[in-house]
Amino acid sequence: MADTAPSTPSRAVSRPVSEALLNEKWDRCLSNLIIKSSLGLGFGVVFSVLIFKRRAWPAFVGVGFGAGRAYEECNYSLKAAARDIRKQA
Amino acid sequence: MLRTSLQSVRALGSRPAAAAASRQWPVSAARRAVVSGQRFYASDKKRSDETKIPASETLTAPSTPPPPPSLDTAASTTIPSKNVPLTPPSPDSVATEAADIAPPPPLPTPRKKKGFFRRLRNFFLTLTLLSALGFGGGVWYSRINDNFHDFFTEYIPYGEQAVLYLEEMDFKKRFPNVASRVAGRRPDGEQVTVPAQSGASWRVADTRETAGRQSSAVQKVAAAKEPSKKAEPVVAAQPKETKLPTAEAKAEDLQKSAPAPVAEKKRTAKKVAEKKAVEKKPVENKPVEKAPEPETALVPAATALVPTQKPFKAPEVDEPSRWPPASPIDPLAVPNAADPVVQDLVRMLNDIITVINHDGANDRYGATIGKAKGEISKVGQKIRDIKTSVEKEAAQQVRQRVDGFDQAANDLVARLEAAMSVQEQQFRREFEAEMDRLRKSYDNKVQLIQERERQLAEEKLNNQLLEQAVQLQRAFTQDIKKHVEQERDGRLGKLNELTAAVDGLEKLTASWNDVIDANLRTQQMHVAVEAVRASLEDAHHPRPFIKELVALKEIAAQDPVVDAAIASVHPSAYQRGISTPAELIDRFRRVAAEVRKASLLPDDAGVASHASSYVLSKVMFKKQGLAAGDDVESILTRTQTFLEEGDLDNAAREMNGLTGWSKTLSRDWLGEVRKVLEVRQALEVIQTEARLQSLKVE
Repeated sequence: MADTAPSTPSRAVSRPVSEALLNEKWDRCLSNLIIKSSLGLGFGVVFSVLIFKRRAWPAFVGVGFGAGRAYEECNYSLKAAARDIRKQA
Repeated sequence: MLRTSLQSVRALGSRPAAAAASRQWPVSAARRAVVSGQRFYASDKKRSDETKIPASETLTAPSTPPPPPSLDTAASTTIPSKNVPLTPPSPDSVATEAADIAPPPPLPTPRKKKGFFRRLRNFFLTLTLLSALGFGGGVWYSRINDNFHDFFTEYIPYGEQAVLYLEEMDFKKRFPNVASRVAGRRPDGEQVTVPAQSGASWRVADTRETAGRQSSAVQKVAAAKEPSKKAEPVVAAQPKETKLPTAEAKAEDLQKSAPAPVAEKKRTAKKVAEKKAVEKKPVENKPVEKAPEPETALVPAATALVPTQKPFKAPEVDEPSRWPPASPIDPLAVPNAADPVVQDLVRMLNDIITVINHDGANDRYGATIGKAKGEISKVGQKIRDIKTSVEKEAAQQVRQRVDGFDQAANDLVARLEAAMSVQEQQFRREFEAEMDRLRKSYDNKVQLIQERERQLAEEKLNNQLLEQAVQLQRAFTQDIKKHVEQERDGRLGKLNELTAAVDGLEKLTASWNDVIDANLRTQQMHVAVEAVRASLEDAHHPRPFIKELVALKEIAAQDPVVDAAIASVHPSAYQRGISTPAELIDRFRRVAAEVRKASLLPDDAGVASHASSYVLSKVMFKKQGLAAGDDVESILTRTQTFLEEGDLDNAAREMNGLTGWSKTLSRDWLGEVRKVLEVRQALEVIQTEARLQSLKVE
């Protein structure tokens, strides 16, 4: 992944190279996962502190919610891409 | 009506209850009437209702006159109202009246609310009564109105019989005599003749004579009718026969007149006997005198009878001498009987004679009577002569007329024939003249046409001659020209050859110049193509070659093949340049790694399948060389092999066979390869074109 960027510096700006399509999706998915799970963790911690007397499980539940949400979005985007490909073919 | 009454009631502001009560009134009244046993019929009921409705209205309306009072009064009025409609038809017949009067007695009895059968009986009674009344009225009215008569007789059963019977009765009543006469007409038919026979007669005293006379008279009439046709031949044939009896009669007259007083008694006795005999058979018309005078047999019966009667009288009267003369006179008259005048005369004379005989004045009038007889016979003779002469004249005239007509007809026929023949001749003459004229005209026409034809032929011949002359002249001039040309060619031909050779030389040099130009051009093209190729192959990294391409296009000078080849190249190719084979191989390696990662993906792949494909692709074995199979790995291996061999075309074909994610990932690399291939193909085409041009020139 690091190689692709220097080889085609001019083109990458406008449009991703075809072989990098899948990698880009993976990148997005991973960032999404991190953001959502951290958000969930934050909410869980806040809830555990405010309501649940600093118990641990609300934090885990929040992380799980975030991760699940990210997974679902990634799944959706991948399937949509597959559908587009099939439509083009 | 009810509604209007209601409205009026409400408008006046009175209580609606009153209106409702008024509406129910008639019903209740009718019910009560039924209960009370009174008879009501459809028409009567309605009338009673109608009479009551205004009563209800007037309760509220002040303008209307005071209404008839309460229910009881209304109920009481119904009875007379029912009787009223029955009365008008009653005057027709007394019997119906009697029947009409009869029903009232049952009226009071059913008031006692008796059973259903009583009501039924009453109903049928009134029904029959009404129908009888109606029938009678219909019969009566059908005699007045024709339309109603037709309707009545056609649709009412037994109506026709009734009307017919009534009419017949009326007719008989009006004309009793006619009816009786019409009935007994036939039996009286014989009586008609009786008064006719008993009619006027010349006889004054004798009843017996009348009987005899009558019979004779009738027969006379019959005879006059019968022999009307026979009489003429008789008249023509019998005069001689009749003349003889006249002569004899005269002789007898003379003889009898002399011994009359002597033989009086004897003859009277004889005549009495004769008369009795005749009286016994008066109906038989055969004359008794046939024996004494056979000549009369030829004479008609009428005349024969007259003499028979006179002998009867003779014995009764004084003088028998008178009688014989009377009888001969009649035969005299008979032949002339055809003539009515003579007949009348004879009859008159006979009457006179009988009168004289009756009076017994025979002696005194004998001579005069004899004279008169002679005169009459003469008159008869004359009349016959006149008749014959007139007939002859008439026959002559007829013959003359016939002759005249024949002659006229002959003349007419002859004249007609003459006229016909004359006309025929005239027609023939005209026909011949017309024929001659036509023939002449046609001959003229034929001659004219022949002349025209001849002229035409001559003119044609002249024309042909002229044409021949012209042709000959032309041929002559041509010959002269030919000769002149030959003469001229002999000298000038060589000059022409020289100029032609010079022209050829000029053309040759010109074409040579063209060849040199074309050569130059092709050489330039070659150079340009080489420049492009060099610029492509030389570069280590992509470089635009647009300048070279423009130069090539200019040199090609609108060469269609070159233009088409350049147009086939994608613009981005010469604007950015094309990647070198080394670059392509390098990029392929990267693409192949990515494609391998996605090589195990299913059709509709999610995150899990992507991850698994990524992980599993790490553990897959790699193939080498030209591996067989359609899977992604073998395709990639084959492509790599082709690329290493430098076969870009086949490599592109192999990569084009990928599907799904793999194809999407390798799309850009394929585009690059295609561009390179396009450019190479175009260059090859242009090169061959340039080679062809150079070949063409040489």
